Amino acid sequence: MTKEETLTSFLIETQTRSYRLAYSVLHNREEALDAVQTAVCRALERQDSLRDPGAVKTWFTRILMNTCNDTLRQRGRVVPFPEERPELGQEDPEPADDTLAQRVNALPAEVGTVIKLRFYEELTLKEIGEVTGQNISTVKSRLYAGLRKLRVAMEGAEI
Amino acid sequence: MNEFKNAKEAYDNTPIPAELSERVQAGVREGKARYRARRGRTIRRWGATAACFAVLLAGLNLSPTIAKAAAEVPVLGGLFQVLTFVDYDKTEDGIHYDVTVPQLEAEGALAERVNAVVQEKVDAHLAKAQQDWDDYREAFFATGGTEEEWADREMDVLVDYEIKSQTDTRVSFVVTLAEGWVASMQERYYYNLDLSENRDLTLRDYLGEDWVNVCNASIQEQIDASVDEEGFTLFFTPEMGGFTTVDETTGFYVREDGTVVVCFPEYSIAAGAAGMPEFPIA
Repeated sequence: MTKEETLTSFLIETQTRSYRLAYSVLHNREEALDAVQTAVCRALERQDSLRDPGAVKTWFTRILMNTCNDTLRQRGRVVPFPEERPELGQEDPEPADDTLAQRVNALPAEVGTVIKLRFYEELTLKEIGEVTGQNISTVKSRLYAGLRKLRVAMEGAEI
Repeated sequence: MNEFKNAKEAYDNTPIPAELSERVQAGVREGKARYRARRGRTIRRWGATAACFAVLLAGLNLSPTIAKAAAEVPVLGGLFQVLTFVDYDKTEDGIHYDVTVPQLEAEGALAERVNAVVQEKVDAHLAKAQQDWDDYREAFFATGGTEEEWADREMDVLVDYEIKSQTDTRVSFVVTLAEGWVASMQERYYYNLDLSENRDLTLRDYLGEDWVNVCNASIQEQIDASVDEEGFTLFFTPEMGGFTTVDETTGFYVREDGTVVVCFPEYSIAAGAAGMPEFPIA
């Protein structure tokens, strides 16, 4: 397989993961679809910038997160407040109020992203650093800040 | 941490829209096309250089084979040439410009007029891109973006053309203007010219007096054929704002084999996943 074919199958195979991640940031079905499409397009367009094929996951996640962040910035708010959220379709139920998932969504974007990547996508701290362009200590401090805000018991938790 | 297990479960159960895979396919198509466009430009530059050498050699009468090859390079044949007159690939202030503007070189007012129109569109496009970028930068910092985060941001501005076909007197080419960062915006303009008669060619010239019906029948047939077993198609119904008829403003180009291909902008008659629909008129 050529590099382009390998990348294409990766993008197709991981599309549901990409959508979930985009949706968890944007909470809007259409915007999440747009973000995935745009990120896939950008990834192929700039395939030459993927130097290490082994790092494709973090490389693409970074493109996707940047695309999502751009969308957030475009609509002029970084943190979507519940009352400002766009109408949600019936098929996309939000977690019930006050569940942990809801509280994760309410976190400031930069903290929420770290939490989501760590616990939902199960990326390592190093990978999160690569995706978000932060050094490990920033990732760690954001992770702890997030957990503190969520008041999740951390005893014995493997972070 | 049990709570996170539940949260992750909810996350893993995010409903996946049915159209996701089409949207990904559309992204794949467009991404590949853009990648080719980038690389194609490099190759074409070399092609043009090679053509110059071929002429030089043929002029010196060194090789009949090369002289023949030169005659077959389309840009060198006929009454006129399509030449690139602006061609640059640079990054400036966060904008990556990849600009190749065509210019017709021929006697007569038509070539001049076409060049002026193309240049005007390109200028407007570049100005709009700059404005979009400035607006975006303002919004970026207004919403708490940092200089450091801004640094690795880049917007692409692309101007490119493609010669679809060329005969001694006629040329058909497409100019593409694109801008991409958040939303990928792409516009295409189609030019079909007869330089000997000094005029634009229309669908009527190619398809005869009945051109509207000929196009509509063929397009409708192709739209109907796109419906799958489950009754699904990316094309909108006429009630939803889908295809109804071609008119004088409908874009088209002419292939090497003489086939007329009618083109519609993205989203105009079909979902974004269909890209820019094109219909060869048989």
